Amino acid sequence: MSLFLKSLKELPPFGQALGMVLDEADSEPGVAVLLPGAEHLSGHADDGVFHTGVILATIDNTAGWCIRDHRDYAEGTSMATLDLRVDFVNPASLSETLRVRAVCEGFDGDIAFVRATAETTTTKVLIATGQATFMLGTPSTPNPATASKVVGGAVE
Amino acid sequence: MNKLDQAGWAMLNLDLAQQQLMKMPYAGFLGVELRVGPEGLETITVDRADLIGNTNLPALHGGVIGSLLDITGLLTLVFLKSLDNAPRLVDMDIDYLRSGQARPTYGRAEIVRGGRRIANVRALLWQDDPERPIAIGRLQFLLPKAKV
Repeated sequence: MSLFLKSLKELPPFGQALGMVLDEADSEPGVAVLLPGAEHLSGHADDGVFHTGVILATIDNTAGWCIRDHRDYAEGTSMATLDLRVDFVNPASLSETLRVRAVCEGFDGDIAFVRATAETTTTKVLIATGQATFMLGTPSTPNPATASKVVGGAVE
Repeated sequence: MNKLDQAGWAMLNLDLAQQQLMKMPYAGFLGVELRVGPEGLETITVDRADLIGNTNLPALHGGVIGSLLDITGLLTLVFLKSLDNAPRLVDMDIDYLRSGQARPTYGRAEIVRGGRRIANVRALLWQDDPERPIAIGRLQFLLPKAKV
């Protein structure tokens, strides 16, 4: 985990509302986020499992963070999710805490590719896998890492 | 079906969808509400400070958008197929088309194919104009086992 993420404690409001916590003890590649079960995250009152949307939201958040943690990321560059696919492999009981890990697989100029998994922390059951693509920078505020390469013009 | 039958059918199935919504604490937390519009079932979700992902823009969290597609798809399936039990989401694929502003978000869905075990659903969300969706989703649901 980079120095940047170690200093990052500020969750987006929705991450805070769900109860996401950065897993600072994690030493494996990428970024890991913990999500303890809670009543408002329940998908079905009778079943006591995490709602699929909650798992998806945590994957989305962690995927974004692992890009900001990447060595090629220029701090402050805006980031937009282009697409996200999630496979819900197993339901997860709310008595568990989820660990979502996201790894940036590739960084090609303004596009970043991420893979993520969600598993239960005690039983280590695979809950979901995800795959996301992100776009860095906007036309008005380009990604500083690629801004000098003008498309169709002279490369400075 | 004549108009009166159709209205009665919509009310009955709206009730089924409402029941599933009430059994879903997470949807309650997001503040999802239902109505039947000219195009069928619609979800409405009012923006709130704790649904924001990017405070600078501000924009709805991508996870909120994904969750609303999920919930809209599931409840539309309950509505259109008169289900008593909730289907289970197998996988979904979201295209984020525009950033979600801090304003009410509307959703609707259609069944692309409804089989006996699996239903393929397409869901979309919009804010100002249904012709300019902020996100679309492709969702696969496992249907509850039919009562024997």
